[in-house]
Amino acid sequence: MADLATTWLGLSLPSPIVVSASPLSRDVDAIAAAVEAGAGAVVMYSLFEEQLAHEQMAAHRYLDARADSDAESRSFLPDVDVFSLDAEPYAQKLAALRKRVSVPVVASLNGTTPGGWTRYAKRLEDAGASALELNLYEVVTSPDEDGAALEKRQLDVVSAVASAALVPVTVKLSPWYSSVPAFVKRLAEAGAKGVTVFNRFYQPDVDLDALDVDRHVIPSTFAELPLRLHALALLSPTTRLSLGCTGGVHTGRDAAKAILCGAHVVQVASALLVHGPGHVAVLRDQLAAWLDEKGYRSSAEARGVLDLSSTPDPHAWERLNYARMLASWHGTPGTRQRW
Amino acid sequence: MTPSHRTCDANEAVASVAYRLSEVIAIYPITPASPMGEHADAWSADARPNVWGGVPDVVEMQSEGGAAGAVHGALQSGALTTTFTASQGLLLMLPDLFKIAGELTPFCLHVAARAIATHALSIFGDHSDVMAARSTGMALLASGSAQEAQDLAAIGHAATLVARVPVLHFFDGFRTSHEITKVAPLDDDCLRALLDEDALRAHRARALDPDRPVLRGTSQNPDVFFQCREAAEPYYQAFPGALDRTMARFAELTGRRYRLFDYVGHPEADRVLVLMGSAAECAHETVLHLVGRGERVGVIKVRLFRPFSIAHFLAALPASVTHVSVLDRTKEPGAVADPLFQEVATALLEAVARGDRAALPKLAGGRYGLASKELTPAMLIAAFDEMRSDAPRRRFTLGIRDDLSGSSLEHDGELDIEPDDVTRAVFFGLGSDGTVSANKATIKIIGEETPLFAQGHFEYDSRKSGSTTISYLRFGPAPIRSTYRIRQAHLVAVHDPEMLERRDVLTVARPGAIFLLNTAIPVDQAWDSLPREVQAQLVEKRCRLFVIDGYGVAERAGLGRRINTVMQICFFALARVIPLDEAMAHVRASIEETWGRRGPEVVRRNVVALESALAELHEVPVPDHATAVRVRPSALSPQGGPAEPFVERVTRLLLEGRGDELPVSAFPPDGTWPTGTSRFEKRAIAREIPIWQPDLCVQCNFCSMICPHAAIQTKVFAPEAMEGAPASFRAVPERFDAALSGLMYAVQVAPEDCTGCGLCVEVCPAKDKLKPKRKALVSEPLAAHRDQERDAFGFFEQIDPAAPQLVALPIDKRTAAFRLPLFEFSGACAGCGETPYVRLLTQLFGDHLLVANATGCSSIYGGNLPTTPYTKDRHGRGPAWSNSLFEDNAEFGFGMRLGVDVRAHRARELVSRLSGKLPAELVEGLLGAGEGDAFYAARRSRVAEALGLLAGDGSREADELRECVNALVPRSVWIVGGDGWAYDIGYGGLDHVLASHRKVNVLVLDTEVYSNTGGQQSKATPLGAAAKFATAGKATRKKDLGLLAMSYGHVYVAQVGMQARSAHTVQALLEAERHPGPSLVIAHSPCIAHGYDLAHSASQQKRAIECGVWPLYRFDPARAQRGEAPLVLDSGKPRLDVSVYMENEARFRMVELRSPERYAMLVEAARAGVLQRQSLYEQLAGIHVPAEKQNG
Repeated sequence: MADLATTWLGLSLPSPIVVSASPLSRDVDAIAAAVEAGAGAVVMYSLFEEQLAHEQMAAHRYLDARADSDAESRSFLPDVDVFSLDAEPYAQKLAALRKRVSVPVVASLNGTTPGGWTRYAKRLEDAGASALELNLYEVVTSPDEDGAALEKRQLDVVSAVASAALVPVTVKLSPWYSSVPAFVKRLAEAGAKGVTVFNRFYQPDVDLDALDVDRHVIPSTFAELPLRLHALALLSPTTRLSLGCTGGVHTGRDAAKAILCGAHVVQVASALLVHGPGHVAVLRDQLAAWLDEKGYRSSAEARGVLDLSSTPDPHAWERLNYARMLASWHGTPGTRQRW
Repeated sequence: MTPSHRTCDANEAVASVAYRLSEVIAIYPITPASPMGEHADAWSADARPNVWGGVPDVVEMQSEGGAAGAVHGALQSGALTTTFTASQGLLLMLPDLFKIAGELTPFCLHVAARAIATHALSIFGDHSDVMAARSTGMALLASGSAQEAQDLAAIGHAATLVARVPVLHFFDGFRTSHEITKVAPLDDDCLRALLDEDALRAHRARALDPDRPVLRGTSQNPDVFFQCREAAEPYYQAFPGALDRTMARFAELTGRRYRLFDYVGHPEADRVLVLMGSAAECAHETVLHLVGRGERVGVIKVRLFRPFSIAHFLAALPASVTHVSVLDRTKEPGAVADPLFQEVATALLEAVARGDRAALPKLAGGRYGLASKELTPAMLIAAFDEMRSDAPRRRFTLGIRDDLSGSSLEHDGELDIEPDDVTRAVFFGLGSDGTVSANKATIKIIGEETPLFAQGHFEYDSRKSGSTTISYLRFGPAPIRSTYRIRQAHLVAVHDPEMLERRDVLTVARPGAIFLLNTAIPVDQAWDSLPREVQAQLVEKRCRLFVIDGYGVAERAGLGRRINTVMQICFFALARVIPLDEAMAHVRASIEETWGRRGPEVVRRNVVALESALAELHEVPVPDHATAVRVRPSALSPQGGPAEPFVERVTRLLLEGRGDELPVSAFPPDGTWPTGTSRFEKRAIAREIPIWQPDLCVQCNFCSMICPHAAIQTKVFAPEAMEGAPASFRAVPERFDAALSGLMYAVQVAPEDCTGCGLCVEVCPAKDKLKPKRKALVSEPLAAHRDQERDAFGFFEQIDPAAPQLVALPIDKRTAAFRLPLFEFSGACAGCGETPYVRLLTQLFGDHLLVANATGCSSIYGGNLPTTPYTKDRHGRGPAWSNSLFEDNAEFGFGMRLGVDVRAHRARELVSRLSGKLPAELVEGLLGAGEGDAFYAARRSRVAEALGLLAGDGSREADELRECVNALVPRSVWIVGGDGWAYDIGYGGLDHVLASHRKVNVLVLDTEVYSNTGGQQSKATPLGAAAKFATAGKATRKKDLGLLAMSYGHVYVAQVGMQARSAHTVQALLEAERHPGPSLVIAHSPCIAHGYDLAHSASQQKRAIECGVWPLYRFDPARAQRGEAPLVLDSGKPRLDVSVYMENEARFRMVELRSPERYAMLVEAARAGVLQRQSLYEQLAGIHVPAEKQNG
């Protein structure tokens, strides 16, 4: 059987299949089962600084504001200082995960303030994170904020965290950059050791009955994979950073595609949420079977063989392809359609 | 290391000692003693050890009776045990206290002394509760300050162990229990050193133990009982000596020497006051002032009231004394004198009889301070002056004007004896703006970081929304004994500008005082914005005026309306008690300490506010004369309509904060009070109010149905009623119900009664298709709409709510919402989940409704002065309401039913006897049963007709019938209360009443905690929720009260949730009323103690229903009679997981944050509980039971 071991962010993993940041990592038993089934590492669900701040202020508003307001009651809930609304619960969960599983556990962080990013990064490192994933998740709503300013701010954050942290830092990106390769290059200069493509933005739907925004979270589908494959293929030859693929990997064959395009690891969440954490074994076996079938001795050997620099037809990854694909829509023989 | 000083109140200081000297603590919450139990619970949850290294077991019981029983048992099994209570709680403990004392059990009980409910309930301090315990055999030990309370608590625990007489240690509720001062703490070593190890061993050796079995609690016969009682006498004789020795030992350890009677004053005094508690501190201060003026006066502070030691008393009383006045803080109607006086008088008589004193001093007895009534130095000086008058009064009262019995002594209202070196500040704040918390932090800073002494006393009004707080702060170089309000403040701060419109805030300002006002009005317009009275006082007193837009600073810092930090630093900047840079550093550290443990965000925002505040603080020049024309509006709003003379005479002054000025004759002697007065109090506390958009409205009435304050109402009416409407009044044709077509429909907000909770806007289903943000109700600033909507509401109110077409329709959730609410504008919390049920009850049955209300939130918003929300309809009819106690409410309401039935029965008898004089049809119409508006209207007109026909009849029967004929209009009796009453303290009585066949209805407003006393767990608290006494999350299931009631078979039982399912609630209440026997309706009541924004309570309640945590059902015995299953499940199978519901409330979330593992376990248990109960209910809903034979 092909060797699945890989190196990611300088960490040796037994398998390139990694549990992606998702609610699954709130359940230590589920993660243990995923590791048991062959997961090579675990990325914890993201710690959102904004959410922590929001909850702290909610507690202030609904608990503290009730204190000392009435002759008969000092407060209306037990002493509010007995619990932390900061990173503590996350750090404890991280420590518990670390204790439970033998593979690396990566903490995922989404900050909102410059100080917050570094402070929380340090705390997560102290709690035992094997690496830090910076989830650069920002929704720009103001027409006054341009891409250059945003990129600069993000690079400053990465630089600050990378210089403060002793463990490797990887960055989870959105697809919405003018030049992903250029930004990745600057991330490397800022000290990042890896990059993961792509964040699945929270994409609310529209509720036609309620005439409102529907906050339902939709699991990923295989249709989201090609966007990632394309980015990996472009990045693989131009960067030395560890590459991760997340979003749209549902089978071992999907994983094989990402690896062929240059991924060091593939991160899965939706498939595990649907099929259970033990499904990692199915993915691993499918991947190994495909590698065996094609005669690859290891996943490392297959990595990047279809990236921009290695693919037999580099134009296939280039923009020109767009026109050809549109043309093929009309039934050009030889093009494969999967709808 | 124990710090040399700390600032705390007596509750905390006493709890700290009692906790460390106990192994078992059994408690039950009651104001003002609740914080002692809460501290003990919190410390136990944190595993804080007692002086022996163990963690005390703190348990909450179902009542004070239960707590006392548990205490008794724990003591009998050898544990060192304590408890805390007050007022009615102490009364419930009495039987056990007799037992504990009768068995000579070492035990120290701590009481925050509070008035006992008589003509009215009062949460405030006096000695009527402890005096009711004086025959129990407990030693009664009194403290007058937090320092004394802490020290005497330790002395009490030590002395009882040695002397075996149990001790009731008390201190004044609120004045001492809640007043924050500087206290020298007692460390564990000191406490250990105070305890007698041999006595401790002896106590444990007396424990019941099967290895050396004995028996206690025998039943004794006349041959031995008396002798056995006397056998304990030597212990009482020895107690004073033992206590004095303990006090001496305490002095060796701490340097603070207490005596059984402490004398302060001239060594050769001629006039002496004798009193106990906090007032003794004021007397101490007054006596030093008078002695300084050369007067020969003194005061005896009584520490040990019982056993009263004549020898110690005489030793404390200077031989020179010729006049003694004894002041009691209790009233024992009909007694020769109040209790302390009696004791002192007897002691002096015996002293003279024994020859210990040559002559009897002239004795007088005064009464003061009932329910925390002020006692000032001026009043005590009046008492001293009275002693040297030619004919001193032998009985008198202080602090009131008794124009009825002439008991009161006049005093100089202007006199102020406080030294100049005491900095005094008075703050008028809102309950929600953090003023009190900030002032507590300020006291802590000055008290613990400087050599200054500090005192903080806080007053709260009785409303739970928009409440006002007044903080009194003193700082000075010497211990502060001023146990009364500040009368001459150096600084007066008003944290809400609206207060200037409601009350006189500057009376307390001394000449040259600083006046700090938080106002959003620009600095250059600030002076002109002040009412003329305020300007005139500022000018007259030569005050300096400072303003700050605290709301602006707080808003910009992301703190909403929390202006605590902003105003705190302004105080430091203006008062200059300590250098400003030091103050900044201390406040910053205090912010870190207070908020930091939960995360950095609150700290960060407060620091932003702190650092930006002073730049916004501006002095406004005060001209040499008042310039405003505008005067403060009347406290009685003309919007309330014509006021009865009583309202004009009494309620007006209460609203102006001048109730103290009212004389005795102003009041009814029996506690009877008029209803319908909340309408005179237009508080205008909302920032934003709902504004109706008629073009979008679908006329569903969701808004008026959910409003907790009846502040948004809906009506249908004939178009002619629109005549004379002001321009701001809007109505549109009714289009929801074809049966009402032709009528007009209006939604109207009462702008000055709305609390701005947002519930109506949240539940409004109608949206603008083009701008979905715009609903049929839109929140808009009050200021922009106040005048127009006030006019509109005034017009709306006079429209008859009972259009004939409407009256003809059956009552459902929409038509119910059109009915006139006879419960309006209460002081309940914004978003309260209880009050909509109460309002609905009055809409359904209000004009023939009797309410028995258990003590708790519903009795406070229902009956706490100054105003009353229960009101009357245009015929003058409305709910008649009464609160008896917490524990007896079911029985109380049951008694109401008995009384109503007796009168109705008698009336029917008399009608039958007089049937010869009345038309047969009328007799029939007077005696038959029925329901509904038409029935009530017909019955009332028949009653009127009968009265008319019998007008000239002089027979005895006719006379008697005239008195009771109204009883022929059936009364709806509802027993209303919270879960603390129904599930815990009143359950025994509730169970008994439900077991009867009498027609009483019970409405349980289930908030799942003791809401009024601050969120302590009850047996209604759901599994997994954090509450006080269940900090880690309650591990047992909520008691299924409904199922217990169903087990009788004849009780109508429903569980409802009107915020989400009002139709079901209306149906259940109507069925309950229709049911001929007892009924029980359990109502899901969202509460601030659940920890979320109550504007979302409808959707959160929906989650509770849909996940099966709160199943809706109706159990109707009538269905069994029809051969159907009596139980109907109305909410179907659970559709959501319990976690979806739980994750939305802080009470569950905090459990998860403390321990995710425990939370996961509790969620799983809650899930299992839902499934099991659902399964049980489904089976019950399928059970067909044989119908009972109807035997009439």
